[in-house]
Amino acid sequence: MARPGDFLELVGGIPSELGRVGDAPVSHSAAASSLDTHGTTVIAVKYRDGVLNVGDRRATANMAVMYDRAEKVLALDDFTLIAISGSFARAIEIVRFLKHAFKYYSRRELQEMSLDGKVSEVSRAIAGNLPMAMQGIGAFIPIVSAYDPKTNEGRIFFYDGMGARFETAEFGAAGSGSERIRGAFDYIIRTKKPFREMTLEEALQECLILLDIAADLDAATGGFAKVLPVAKAITKDGIREIPAEQMRAIVAAFKPSE
Amino acid sequence: MSLTPYDWNQSVLTRMEYIEERLRDGSPVVGLSLPEGVLLLSLRRTQRKVYEIYDRLIFGGIGNQSDIETMRNAAIDFAHQEGFQRSPDDVTAQRLVGSVLSPALKKAFGDPFTAPFVFRGLFAELGDRQEQDAFFALNFDGEFKNENRFSVVGPSLDAENRMIELLHTNWEGAQDRQSAIRLGLETWATGKIHARRVSFGRTEEDEEVEIQTVAQVLKEELAQGTVEVGLLERNTPRESKFRLLRPEELDSALAEYR
Repeated sequence: MARPGDFLELVGGIPSELGRVGDAPVSHSAAASSLDTHGTTVIAVKYRDGVLNVGDRRATANMAVMYDRAEKVLALDDFTLIAISGSFARAIEIVRFLKHAFKYYSRRELQEMSLDGKVSEVSRAIAGNLPMAMQGIGAFIPIVSAYDPKTNEGRIFFYDGMGARFETAEFGAAGSGSERIRGAFDYIIRTKKPFREMTLEEALQECLILLDIAADLDAATGGFAKVLPVAKAITKDGIREIPAEQMRAIVAAFKPSE
Repeated sequence: MSLTPYDWNQSVLTRMEYIEERLRDGSPVVGLSLPEGVLLLSLRRTQRKVYEIYDRLIFGGIGNQSDIETMRNAAIDFAHQEGFQRSPDDVTAQRLVGSVLSPALKKAFGDPFTAPFVFRGLFAELGDRQEQDAFFALNFDGEFKNENRFSVVGPSLDAENRMIELLHTNWEGAQDRQSAIRLGLETWATGKIHARRVSFGRTEEDEEVEIQTVAQVLKEELAQGTVEVGLLERNTPRESKFRLLRPEELDSALAEYR
């Protein structure tokens, strides 16, 4: 049966550059994974007025740094951000798909897709990508942040490789560097204060330091020494990119110890 | 049963009359290019009149509601498919109207065994600069006209010509939003007045015609209907460039007609 407003149905699936979904599995090989550029550490925290997302800029393929100006925090619409880690090619393609899917729905149906509908659409896209991820390439994990107009608060969702979605109360992180800093979030919450009580400035400062620690401990994560991270905040007024000057001031005060 | 050329000619004429008759009571749509963006204006009693098609495309139509919906959905489908599979930059009003909608309308109009579309539509495209703005006015027989500064669709071709005349003289002096809305309203009323005269079977020169002024018509219509103004903003930090103006944004322009 036709589902009105369903973009997946309109385009007949998300095209894959790496063969059809369900093709014979390819064994994980160095050759294949060196084709696959990966994005790393992204962080999302709930602060006083909404959600803040911060991502480093490094994209790597095996041991090579492919790009040091990668954008990993992207707007899906005026109140939804997606922060991506994992295969860059697939992530960017799926972000493009999701953007179109949300807009297609709202333009055709003349109402916004519900937040629940949006986060389920992300699950669907990850699950659809699973056969490729099983071949050893193309896996990606996003964090979705949104401002919920129903409850007037920021919300953060994270996913596993199969598309299961989980909602987090305080923070979310994904990518290779995120494992290294996971405990640090809890340390901040217990010793300082919960992120949701912080101002934007305070939350931004914690996130930038966390990101730099991740960069120290994970070779695939770029810190803030060379290129500034990307930071975006969602509030009831929509998405705002944090200006570079604001980050530079914080970074200058917190240079890693000599 | 076979059709002779005479039958075909006859059927086209009958269809044309049928469609023109049904369009006569419609509410015109006026499109204006401004430095801040492109604007579509109409008055409505019940259903929406101005719709977002794609990132830089909006649409307003006149005719049978279900035909307007069919055209709107066809436009949205094409735009999103093309925008995802190629690039949003390849979605233009020229392609949408010229290669997708116009041939379909022509086909339906010329085929005596299908119901013709009772439809006139105005598509507006936002350019990077004002001189790149484009309007495409599409008629039920597949004919279309393109314009850069302003355009209309109205209840009859005569009414449209009157409206265009008015815009020709006044467009240059109406480049801020408030005066553009006032010009749009006056153009709208001009189209409405002209269509009414013709629908009473009278001509302009007829002495008995009660001459209604633009002000009278607007006073009457504003009491019963709502002004709908859709704007595609050229410089906005938001993800969506389109928005419907809020009632309080229209108040000052409407005040003098109430």
